[in-house]
Amino acid sequence: MPLYQRALDLEPMFDEALEGLGQALDVLGYIELAAEKYAAARRIRAETRLGAPDRHFVLRQRGHFRAEVLAYDNVIWSLKKNTLPYIARGNAFLASGQPDAALANYNQALRLKRDLPAVAALKGEALSILGRYSEAVESLSVAVEARPNDAEALGGRAIARLGLGLLGEANTDWRRQFELLQGRAAACACVALRMADWALALPELDRALEKEPHDPYWHLYRLTARRRLEMPADLADLPSIGGWPGALLALHAGRITPDEILKRADTDDRHAEAIFQLGVLAFDRDRKVAEAYWQELVERFPPSLIEHATARNELARRPS
Amino acid sequence: MFSVIVYGRNDSHGYNLHKRAAISFNAIAEVMSDPDDEILFVDYNTPDDHPTFPEAIQDTLTDKAKQVLRIFRVRPEQHVHLKSKTHLVALESQSRNIALRRSNPRNRWILYTNTDMLLVPRREGESLSMIFGDLPDGFYQIPRFELPEMLWEAAFDRRDPAGNLTKLRDWAVRFHLNQVVHNFMPMKYDALGDFQAALREDMFTIHGFDEDMLLGWHCDSNLAARLALYRGRVDTLIDKVFGYHCDHTRVAAVNNKGRLTKMNDQDRFIWDVSSPYLPSQADTWGWPDVQIEEIRLDRDTSYERFVAGLSAAMEPATEPYRSTNLDWHLYSDLTYDLHHTLPFVCDQVLTYPRSTAVMLVASRAELVSSFTKAWSAMGFTGSVLIPSECKGLPEAHPSIKTGAFSDLVGMADLFIFEFGLASQTQRETVRLGRSASPSDTKSLNTVARLFALAASIEPETRPKGRRLPRRFIGVNVIYNKFWPLFTDHIVANINPFCSQVLAGIPRRDASLKGKVLRFRGRIGV
Repeated sequence: MPLYQRALDLEPMFDEALEGLGQALDVLGYIELAAEKYAAARRIRAETRLGAPDRHFVLRQRGHFRAEVLAYDNVIWSLKKNTLPYIARGNAFLASGQPDAALANYNQALRLKRDLPAVAALKGEALSILGRYSEAVESLSVAVEARPNDAEALGGRAIARLGLGLLGEANTDWRRQFELLQGRAAACACVALRMADWALALPELDRALEKEPHDPYWHLYRLTARRRLEMPADLADLPSIGGWPGALLALHAGRITPDEILKRADTDDRHAEAIFQLGVLAFDRDRKVAEAYWQELVERFPPSLIEHATARNELARRPS
Repeated sequence: MFSVIVYGRNDSHGYNLHKRAAISFNAIAEVMSDPDDEILFVDYNTPDDHPTFPEAIQDTLTDKAKQVLRIFRVRPEQHVHLKSKTHLVALESQSRNIALRRSNPRNRWILYTNTDMLLVPRREGESLSMIFGDLPDGFYQIPRFELPEMLWEAAFDRRDPAGNLTKLRDWAVRFHLNQVVHNFMPMKYDALGDFQAALREDMFTIHGFDEDMLLGWHCDSNLAARLALYRGRVDTLIDKVFGYHCDHTRVAAVNNKGRLTKMNDQDRFIWDVSSPYLPSQADTWGWPDVQIEEIRLDRDTSYERFVAGLSAAMEPATEPYRSTNLDWHLYSDLTYDLHHTLPFVCDQVLTYPRSTAVMLVASRAELVSSFTKAWSAMGFTGSVLIPSECKGLPEAHPSIKTGAFSDLVGMADLFIFEFGLASQTQRETVRLGRSASPSDTKSLNTVARLFALAASIEPETRPKGRRLPRRFIGVNVIYNKFWPLFTDHIVANINPFCSQVLAGIPRRDASLKGKVLRFRGRIGV
């Protein structure tokens, strides 16, 4: 218990430590206290925003996966020749932002069994995060060749291709991914946004909102799509959302200034989102200002971000 | 809020199955509180002439259990394409996927468990629906605690689930029942298949259970491996609910042969799983295009249909009893009490699909009219097929379809052959030594000829796509001169004379005698 408590002192949002502490308290008979710890761990997980729904399932996972890594360490002690433990451990590393450790595990799985398209896709994703786009495209292509209808691998390859500057090829993959994802509105919307195909995105965003009416990003992206399609902004129906990305909605509504939004963007991802939206708002007034924002975005932030891909496609449409 | 998915069949899977299952159904229903909650039981491959398993134990279920229970009946004919690939008679992956496909789309959660589990919310007064309602997305399991056979068998009252759960809470402490057995990841706990809760949406995304797992065992571990990959972790609900398993090790179940047990390959289906998805079954899992019958215990029950059928066909008796006689000297007397016999005939057909087409080959017009009324009132939508070779039978009822035997035989799913005297009326006293008239004999010869022909050519006249033999029901074929004929051709049990009915499938006797019999049947000798 003291070790869990110490971990929590260092990182109060450490859900796995909270759950471990809950388990220890439960065994000792402190049932109510244990229940509180379990509930707190679940609350953290419920409040963690997942990765974009068009991405590989591992990249949609967020949070701490230290317990998973340790659990699969134990399995590998006993089962060195099976692939699942390496894949699962690799996934835990990838989801917790350690692509190099993930890559080592995927490579080990592929040494044990060469013909694993699903692992080739994972390896490609890890390489892509590491910025090794050329190898990533190669690995993801192995997965796509083996399973041409693998929407996740296509989306991963599109991003890696974008990393290599191959916008046309990336859009080809996204178009195919969009077809394969039909019926999954949120995922389709993200793909259409990456292509900056606003007309394609808008109905998917409407459907995504029907299913998840409280998701602030669907509101934000819908607002963005309507602006880019020169439709009325529809600001009246916006929910009141505090924090992020509520600030971006407030920016659209003219309630906060560009300087203020940049101040509130306290992470890299938020900064990219803010710059992108500043470009959207500037576009009608001064196209060059918008393009300057988007140019900054593509130079500073990774191609895995929706806004990066969108900006690239918007910039590619510049009149010559 | 959640759909519970369980499966089984009307057989004897392990010790005192009926009690275990009743305790479990009632206990699970007891902890449901959302109007959308449901228990989906897939009754897999129970023989057509048996009721489903929950129907067989319905009197031991609480009203609440009957209200939430939806039974999906998978017929032997629907399983037959898999028969050569497995030694098992009930398939877990197929069953669970069939239920998942047909589960209530308003429910966010699917809970996989088995019909010998009791789930006890740790906080008294809290339901499983409330627990699931507050739960963030994820894949959840709990450890399984064992309940000694003596306790559940001797102390539980099947129809008192609340009392049973109270007893469990007491025993858990008093008898040290709660032992968590941890297991390797991704399983997390031993016997994980008794509580696996996943989002319905996730289960559709990963294409359900792996339907290549046809040899039994490890379906739960495969699911855990795939959902652990998909979700990134295996969560626990140990702080919310305890699960108790009614131990049944006195008698080994049929799929448990100790070290000789056949099972699915653990490396392939657990330790070398590389993806949560099963693209090869993406469009076929859960048999989306197959019509699966749904049966309820709270409405339109078999008993209600049976009563409706017989009430439409006959009036109550006006005397305390009627008599018959099986003395050998009455062997040739083919009179029988139709009203007494009709319930036994209806009993033979009631469990068949409502779309069944039955061929009725009979001597007595009154049997045809009574049976047809009952057939229709029991809710059957298929036709009663009457060969035009049988003269003097009613044709007016909308369910009746007439035609040449050769045209109808390929449409029939089931056969009834009746060997009575066309001239007998219902008011006659039976078995007093009455002889057949020439017209009776003529009718009987037609019935006998068509019977032998139908039994002999049954394999090659099955409706298109049908692979299993069709069932033959003989009316008035016990202890009379048509008994040898019927049992020469049909594999039938010895039944009491009083029931008047025998039934079975055609005998496939490869001996010379069998071949001669079938040859004679074909040519009408």
